[in-house]
Amino acid sequence: MASVQVSEAEKVYIMHGVRDDLRVDGRGCEDYRHMVIETDVVSNTDGSAKVSLGHSDILVGVKAEIGKPRALVPDEGYLEFFVDCSANATPEFEGRGGEELGIDLSNTLYKVFNNKHSIDLRSLCICPGEHCWVLYVDVLLLQCDGNLFDAISIAIKAALFNTRIPKVHISEDAEGGKEIELSDDPYDCVRLNVENVPCIVTLCKVGQRHVVDATLQEKACSVASLLLAVTHKGMVTCVRKMGGGSLDPESISEMTETGKRVGKALHAPLMDLLKKEEGLGKNRQKVGFLR
Amino acid sequence: MAADMRLPTAGEQISSSSLSLLDGKHLVVPGDVITSDTGFMRGHGTYMDEEKLTASVAGEVERVNKLICVRPLKTRFNGEVGDVVVGRITEVQQKRWKVETNSRLDSVLLLSSVNLPGGELRRRSAEDELSMRDYLQEGDLISAEVQSVFADGALSLHTRSLKYGKLGQGVLVLVSPSLVKRQKTHFHNLPCGASIILGSNGYIWLYPTPGQQDEEAGGYYTSMEPVPLSDREVISRLRNCLLVLAAHKILLYDTSVLYCFESSLSHQIKDILKPEVMDEIVMKTRQRLMEQEG
Amino acid sequence: MAGVELLSDQGYRLDGRKASELRKVQARMGVFAQADGSAYIEQGNTKALAVVYGPHEVRGSRSRTMHDRAVINCQYSMATFSTAERKRRPHGDRKSSEMSLHLKQTFEAAVLTQLYPRSQIDIYVKILQSDGGNYSACVNAATLALVDAGIPMRDYVCACTAGFVEDTPLADLCHAEESGGGTTLALALLPRSRHIALVQMDARLHQDHLDMLMEAAAEACRGLSKVLDGVVRQHLQEVSVLTRD
Repeated sequence: MASVQVSEAEKVYIMHGVRDDLRVDGRGCEDYRHMVIETDVVSNTDGSAKVSLGHSDILVGVKAEIGKPRALVPDEGYLEFFVDCSANATPEFEGRGGEELGIDLSNTLYKVFNNKHSIDLRSLCICPGEHCWVLYVDVLLLQCDGNLFDAISIAIKAALFNTRIPKVHISEDAEGGKEIELSDDPYDCVRLNVENVPCIVTLCKVGQRHVVDATLQEKACSVASLLLAVTHKGMVTCVRKMGGGSLDPESISEMTETGKRVGKALHAPLMDLLKKEEGLGKNRQKVGFLR
Repeated sequence: MAADMRLPTAGEQISSSSLSLLDGKHLVVPGDVITSDTGFMRGHGTYMDEEKLTASVAGEVERVNKLICVRPLKTRFNGEVGDVVVGRITEVQQKRWKVETNSRLDSVLLLSSVNLPGGELRRRSAEDELSMRDYLQEGDLISAEVQSVFADGALSLHTRSLKYGKLGQGVLVLVSPSLVKRQKTHFHNLPCGASIILGSNGYIWLYPTPGQQDEEAGGYYTSMEPVPLSDREVISRLRNCLLVLAAHKILLYDTSVLYCFESSLSHQIKDILKPEVMDEIVMKTRQRLMEQEG
Repeated sequence: MAGVELLSDQGYRLDGRKASELRKVQARMGVFAQADGSAYIEQGNTKALAVVYGPHEVRGSRSRTMHDRAVINCQYSMATFSTAERKRRPHGDRKSSEMSLHLKQTFEAAVLTQLYPRSQIDIYVKILQSDGGNYSACVNAATLALVDAGIPMRDYVCACTAGFVEDTPLADLCHAEESGGGTTLALALLPRSRHIALVQMDARLHQDHLDMLMEAAAEACRGLSKVLDGVVRQHLQEVSVLTRD
């Protein structure tokens, strides 16, 4: 993660602040920064979303392609994740510098989405054993200001909500082989049900307490963090501990409780916002990067 | 606490009435010819192209008698002798420290330019060299003054005064150097209960006003005592106000920071960074600043 | 040329433009707050983002430091979702390395590097959507980003592509026209002095047509420079209105 240097005295100040529930920017330990979300930003993808959390900027593009299903699960499609930590965020990511972080992020995303309930993978199947939809989810990191996982998961949820997969018609041709026809009508498409897509909450342990949505300075003061993927019902789908320090069991259970509460509260405003944006329809003024 | 999510809003176009405020400002872009008169001297931001004085950056033309220079809107810190800066130590080398000050080359703090703890005046020995890390480590923040400028543009800093030195507990805010107003003093004890150092390089340091007894300790004692909650609130509010002023490109000096602080008192600290609250606070601050001028 | 007709009998191209018409250009400076300079440009359906860091101390290998001028470091990369067919690697392949080198060469001609000895200027360009004219969009976006960062330049650098179909030069090619099999010339120009920073041409062309093609490309670049000029002045005005002291 792109890191900042913090002096010892600054660390002490931050830790005492967290202990008193007043962080450097005035937030409480469970408050998120201001978020700006927009979908349908890149036009040649099947779904896209742009999320700004503080100064972190994430762009997600989803492309749907037809491929062969995996041998073990012939009646399901699948998702492929790729995270590109671009040099835009910081010069440290130039060349191969951002690869390590990118691989780390994509592996975590695979784990989070690796369960039957997040996305109905059966709906991505076209012909069992022969053809299925493969959703390539590409995440582009444009600016880095801490708390990447949360922003990425919100962006992925928004992009999947925005994804429109063309309907397929399967017809038998003369030799008995199957032919796939994609519908040409741009409005004739399948939408995904993203109700159960989890949102990731990262909790960083600073001193004796933990904070949600840590900035880079707070991250530099914390030794370990816990990553939780929480669905809208409050169910935890993935838990992962990150960082070099160690956590004692009481902290982990406390952090899990906080994570469940905070994560559950993220979904409702997000879905409301996405539905509101869709409701604007053609009147919506596309902003993207132009304003 | 519900997370604050919203859709992006298109920015406003500047109105024609505010465009009239630009009358008298000569704005140029790279490649614009400023003048063909050979009587003028060439300053920063310009170059000579076949006897014509041409701008090389986008900004406002400044004319002082016969000197023409172009001041760009945003640039890295170009230090001059006497500027007060706040910097972070990046490296400890032989007999000097490398300090990062948001300029085009890292600045240098020589061992001979710092006060020894205890205030002794003597020649620096080999032992001093070996114990440099005890004074200042990588990551520490210091306030210093520019002593001289090397030929390639790197700055040489010094902390040979009791008001400069290592900084203790507090908050660092980063803004663009062009937004910090040049004033007589950059150290202020604000009446709202915190102190501020407005570094000319855009690094602004907020810290709790030290009590009387800390004054005598010199530059190296940093208190690790917890800062009281009331001071913390003031510092957090000031930090958010600074970010608001910087986002709206208002010049930063003690009066503008104070007015912004007072205008923001009606809102909660964490709400200050929301767009509509920002606009409101900026409007009130601008009004007060204009009343004060007029 | 088989298949698609790049220029109809009435003089209209595939997307309805005339032969020397440019695509719609929209741009914005100061997109990212954390970088020293940034800009975003849309030329038709090609979208490019440029970010400039610097000048700053040379990081990494100290051996690259030049004692009398600044080092310019460029990286060109494409988002994996930018092309119609998904791209596997954003950068590191030969084409991206070649583009990065071209960008470096272009900007070394325009930036006044001797004002910043021993420092480094990083220019990172990202293509978000690719529809022909990638190099031109990158150069234009990087010019705006350098102006935003306050780095002194001799002049703007404007770039445009031009092609040749049936004795008519076409300006500002889109992807379908570039891959149509005809000639493609990419030109980077400093508009005021009319100096050329980079010229690159693929495919065969008759010697007599070269001048016409270069002139068409230069004309297109000049048109683009007017648009970029407008964007910079607008940005200057907006920011100057805010900073009143």
